[in-house]
Amino acid sequence: MNSHDDVKACCAAVYGRNAVALILGDSYHPGGSGLTRRLGRALEVRSGMRIADLACGPGATARLLAAEFGAHVDGVDLSAVAVARASAAAADAGMAAQVRFHLGDAEALPLPDGCFDAIVCECAFCTFPDKATAAAEFSRILRRGGRVGITDVTVADRGLPAELTDLAGWIACIADARPVEEYSRILAGAGLRTTLIETHDELVLRMIDQIQARITVLQIAAPHRLVEAGVDVDSVEHYLRLVRAAVEDSLIGYTLLLAHKPGQGQE
Amino acid sequence: MTESVAEPAVSMRNERVDRDEVFLEYTKSICPVCKVVIDAQVNIRGGKVYLRKRCKEHGPFEALVYSDAQAYVDSARFNKPGTLPLAFQTEVKDGCPSDCGLCPEHKQHACLGLIEVNTNCNLDCPICFADSGHQPDGYSITLEQCQRMLDAFVAAEGEPEVLMFSGGEPTIHKHILDFVDLAQATPIRNININTNGIRLASDKRFAAALGERNGRNGKAVNIYLQFDGFEERTHREIRGKDLREIKRRALDNCAAVGLTVTLVAAVERGLNEHELGAIVEYGIAHPAVRSVAFQPVTHSGRHVEFDPMTRLTNPDVIALITAQRPQWLRKDDFFPVPCCFPTCRSITYLITDGTPGQPDFVAVPIPRLINVEDYLDYVSNRVVPDYGIRAALEKLWSASAFMGTQTTEEKLARTAEIFDCGPDGSCGIDLPVAARDLAARAFMIVVQDFQDPYTLNVRTLMKCCVEEITPDGRLIPFCAYNSVGYREQVREQMTGVPVADVVPNATPLQPLVTQSPHGSKIAAPDVANVGVSPVRLGPSG
Repeated sequence: MNSHDDVKACCAAVYGRNAVALILGDSYHPGGSGLTRRLGRALEVRSGMRIADLACGPGATARLLAAEFGAHVDGVDLSAVAVARASAAAADAGMAAQVRFHLGDAEALPLPDGCFDAIVCECAFCTFPDKATAAAEFSRILRRGGRVGITDVTVADRGLPAELTDLAGWIACIADARPVEEYSRILAGAGLRTTLIETHDELVLRMIDQIQARITVLQIAAPHRLVEAGVDVDSVEHYLRLVRAAVEDSLIGYTLLLAHKPGQGQE
Repeated sequence: MTESVAEPAVSMRNERVDRDEVFLEYTKSICPVCKVVIDAQVNIRGGKVYLRKRCKEHGPFEALVYSDAQAYVDSARFNKPGTLPLAFQTEVKDGCPSDCGLCPEHKQHACLGLIEVNTNCNLDCPICFADSGHQPDGYSITLEQCQRMLDAFVAAEGEPEVLMFSGGEPTIHKHILDFVDLAQATPIRNININTNGIRLASDKRFAAALGERNGRNGKAVNIYLQFDGFEERTHREIRGKDLREIKRRALDNCAAVGLTVTLVAAVERGLNEHELGAIVEYGIAHPAVRSVAFQPVTHSGRHVEFDPMTRLTNPDVIALITAQRPQWLRKDDFFPVPCCFPTCRSITYLITDGTPGQPDFVAVPIPRLINVEDYLDYVSNRVVPDYGIRAALEKLWSASAFMGTQTTEEKLARTAEIFDCGPDGSCGIDLPVAARDLAARAFMIVVQDFQDPYTLNVRTLMKCCVEEITPDGRLIPFCAYNSVGYREQVREQMTGVPVADVVPNATPLQPLVTQSPHGSKIAAPDVANVGVSPVRLGPSG
């Protein structure tokens, strides 16, 4: 495996693991369903539109876009565990006909050309090792006039503190975040023109608060489970402190970005 | 040159000027002097929310209603559709707030019912919305009257969640234990006793008798204990006496017999504002205490002179708590209660471990574990992640939530479902065990601002879910009862002694008011068209 594959495998494995579920609960990305709704509105998702949710995780976003916006959603994730959970949850909610999930890689999407009205990609573009290829895949599956909505971690031009780039495991998942201008350039390289950039930095702090709250309560209510799941509380808390400081220093942020594929649209 | 039309001196004269406020609501209120119903408007100015109105007879009035305009506007989403009671007690005739109640136009059932068993009290506090004390002209309800009031509550609610006995001072009523027994014989689930703690401090047999009734047939009897702070000045200015030792003994006696206590603090500007964090901390540390309720001093009944434009509101109280205990709480840990109007009450719960003051003490607000907004937003959400959790949060963020009741403990236990995660469903956690553990560690903080004759907004009042049960079987929204003239009406009916309408002891009203026989303020004899509220002139009131 090359290092790109290592990172991808790491991310997929980490997000499928109990330890991460234990720490993150249902909030796999900053902003939760509130920011997902904002993304859906910004993309002007309407009933009957076909949406691809790339790095869909356990499928909460796909279900929300289907239920609240009436969209048909294809979710793709690199983790078989996540795809299985997402499929089961959709079936439980009686949405199996409206949302489907596929095992696959964002850099080689198992989806056809030119069929999608919009793509959502939440807190995942930063983890794709070959972002240019992923962007080209976005462009390939979008119809002309289609849109991409990304919410993601951004870093300042001067980059991350060294301590945040060389941490192992799931921590590596944010180590390849870029300045928002660079995301725009990468998308532009695939023919996708940025039309909106919104800053939501405070949502990272809220997510850190939530993770810290969960860890504290787990330490009270089920301390043995943290040990069994292999969570090293001290190192997680140390890492969270570093991220919090980086957010407060404007080194790390969170951004909603919209890009269009040129051509005739239905707008 | 043609460009010179923008000459400043000329344009100044013709320029239109913007108002300094955002017009937000058009509603109804009452004149605080004569209680006649008048139009009112709610405006935002300088980031704060004010209610303004004008009485033809007594002039303009304005008061601060919420000191955080953003929060006021944002909270509109957390307004739950009301639930119809099983029965209304009055008809719609003159419109709100003259038909109480409840009339069929009321938007919510009663989450909490109050029975005031007497007007007499063993204290004469300078601050008392009920205008109680050592008074020769008061009343005490009989067993028959109590039964009728309980029946009215049950007829309206079926299985009411909580009934509160209040007064006066309910513990000095000779039948208070009989009243508890009567209530426990009805479908009412839980009872609260609102008390100053004097009898609980001195009469261990009384505390034990309540302890025996607590938990009988799964029904809780809880104590709602006035507890304003730790400084002698706080006690003297709010209660007229230094009651610190009495409060301590009352709490210890409650702990000894297993009674669960809510500490209830009246918060007064410039007096005990700095003691709020210490009250929370004391409550967490005391074995009997599971919750604290902070209430800005209500400017109904008897109170010291105040400025309506700088009165304390819920956001002020939340700001004080979070400034005094920033390591535990911040503003967005408090969430508005959706059953009444969301601006009336905000609640948070802490999961605690250890003893406050010790280095290993931790406190985690539940809203940091669960994104409450995802469940209790009734306007923008169409998909709720889990309807069972929503139902649990609706009970926890409600005027009927009291620590120590079966309902609240069960719903707190549901919060453990946040650990219902991972591929195998539970992250390997023994959920029932974790649930019981978390429920037992929860500590509740309530912030509740009551309306007064200055701030009364009929829009808010129409969704009030705290009701005063009257001896003639009506259920009157708490803030209407205390502001519009119903309290005076009931007292007059019960005693046969005329009772003039109480007028707020507000600085701008000083020229119009005089002292009442009970220590509150009433309109001075030379003020026109005052004395008896219009709600008291109709056949039913």
